[in-house]
Amino acid sequence: MSEPLLQVEGLTAGYGGAMAVDRLSLSVAAGEAVALLGANGAGKSTLLKAILGLVPATAGRVRLAGEAIDALAPERRVRRGLGYVPEGRRVFPGMSVRDNLEVASWLDRAGRARDLERVFALFPALEGKAEERAWRLSGGQQQMLAVGRALMGRPRVLLLDEPSLGLSPKLAGEVFAAVRAIAAAGTAVLVAEQSAARALSATGRVVLLRLGRAVHDGPVETLPAEALRDAFLGG
Amino acid sequence: MITLQLLVNGLALGAAYALVALGFVLVLNATAAVNFAQGDLVMAGGLLGVALAPHLPGYLPLPGLLLLPVVLVLMAGLGLLLAVAAYLPLRRRPPVAVFISTIAAGIILQNGASVLFGPEPRAAPPLLGGGTLDLGGLVVAEQSLAIIAVAALLIAGQQWLFGRTQLGRRLRATAQDPEMARACGVPVTAMILITFALGTAFAGAAGLLLANRYFVTPTAGGDLILKAYIAVTIGGWGSVPGAVAGALLIALFEVGVSSVLSYPVALGLLYATLLVILVARPQGLFGEAARRRA
Repeated sequence: MSEPLLQVEGLTAGYGGAMAVDRLSLSVAAGEAVALLGANGAGKSTLLKAILGLVPATAGRVRLAGEAIDALAPERRVRRGLGYVPEGRRVFPGMSVRDNLEVASWLDRAGRARDLERVFALFPALEGKAEERAWRLSGGQQQMLAVGRALMGRPRVLLLDEPSLGLSPKLAGEVFAAVRAIAAAGTAVLVAEQSAARALSATGRVVLLRLGRAVHDGPVETLPAEALRDAFLGG
Repeated sequence: MITLQLLVNGLALGAAYALVALGFVLVLNATAAVNFAQGDLVMAGGLLGVALAPHLPGYLPLPGLLLLPVVLVLMAGLGLLLAVAAYLPLRRRPPVAVFISTIAAGIILQNGASVLFGPEPRAAPPLLGGGTLDLGGLVVAEQSLAIIAVAALLIAGQQWLFGRTQLGRRLRATAQDPEMARACGVPVTAMILITFALGTAFAGAAGLLLANRYFVTPTAGGDLILKAYIAVTIGGWGSVPGAVAGALLIALFEVGVSSVLSYPVALGLLYATLLVILVARPQGLFGEAARRRA
């Protein structure tokens, strides 16, 4: 396997006094898609936010291509190569689809236009809605927009939080097909999901979280069924 | 003809109020904070025009118009100072902290102006000239036309900036969801500073425009912040077009209705209308847009 692009080392993070992520370590290489699985409250969302810097870490280290990024504000981490798709999409509702995408780009006009075309090629449903306000889109289209928006920043590492939440199986399948394509193009992808079957179908490696700690980290095909059951149901 | 003249006067007053309300709503959207110093910033812009007027070269045409860019730049600087002193240190505190800090900033401005200028009403120079124009029987004050033109240009400029530029997209993203804007790489603190600078520059421009026909005193800000607040409430909390529409409605009452009835009656009717809107359409006239802020 190639050198990891994202390395998380002994990360501890939480809200106030409550610790949601406990000395957690993992890594993701370029072109690799890793599923982050666990029950509600296992610490998946907090981990992604702590990697991005939206939740402060109290211990540990985050490295991007070997460089520590802990001291950087979230916006600086994004400019260095992190992309984030939050739970619940959180598109900018009053802005058009095109503006939602362009706002996340740091290229000149021509570069933005090229990247817009790439996003529209990945999500053709968005192209016809380019001038629509984002709040008018369906849930699935908003999810595509949220993924496309993150891609406009040309991330080296893409963090996705519950991308299938609230979507029909068909739309969720489309989103995960896009996730596979993004990883195949060389981006390191870390995807937090509650739907284990869907996440495992799109990734090569799985990290199981339980009470903020990684209890399993390995290839999807070696994941013991009981570890998965324990992570979701306890035991 | 009288009706047309009243319409021009009302439009001029409404255009100036629109700038006040626009500055108020831009800061409100970007920070979720009510800037109660906005009225005093209008007053400061007017007095800045008064203070700068003697330094204008008299041999140039349209000397008052030269003041506009100077006032815009200096007031933008004052806006940055306001953000650094009264907003940024308190941004993670409950909203009431910013509410109080901007009231404090306004009182400081008011008392500073009293010390420097005294309590007497002052007039800034007209932008184009103090005379009137006869447009086929319609006699219009040049300053009224100047107010409408300048306010329209500034509002159009704001719309272009926010609607057509990458900076505008980042300002709007910050206003709609600051955390998500950061997650898209937007430097949110810089965007908030720019918004304060813009909002205060608009307040300053309104002050300069109003301070010729309507004079300016150090205590004028209280009345103006109330009008901005009412305009934004009528238009829809957070809606930019709503703020402009609300400001024009206020001017319609102050100029149009007061000419038919009387000023006190017009004010009474304005507040009665406000009550009706609050009860019948609590989200304001452009409430839908406010919810999904354009």
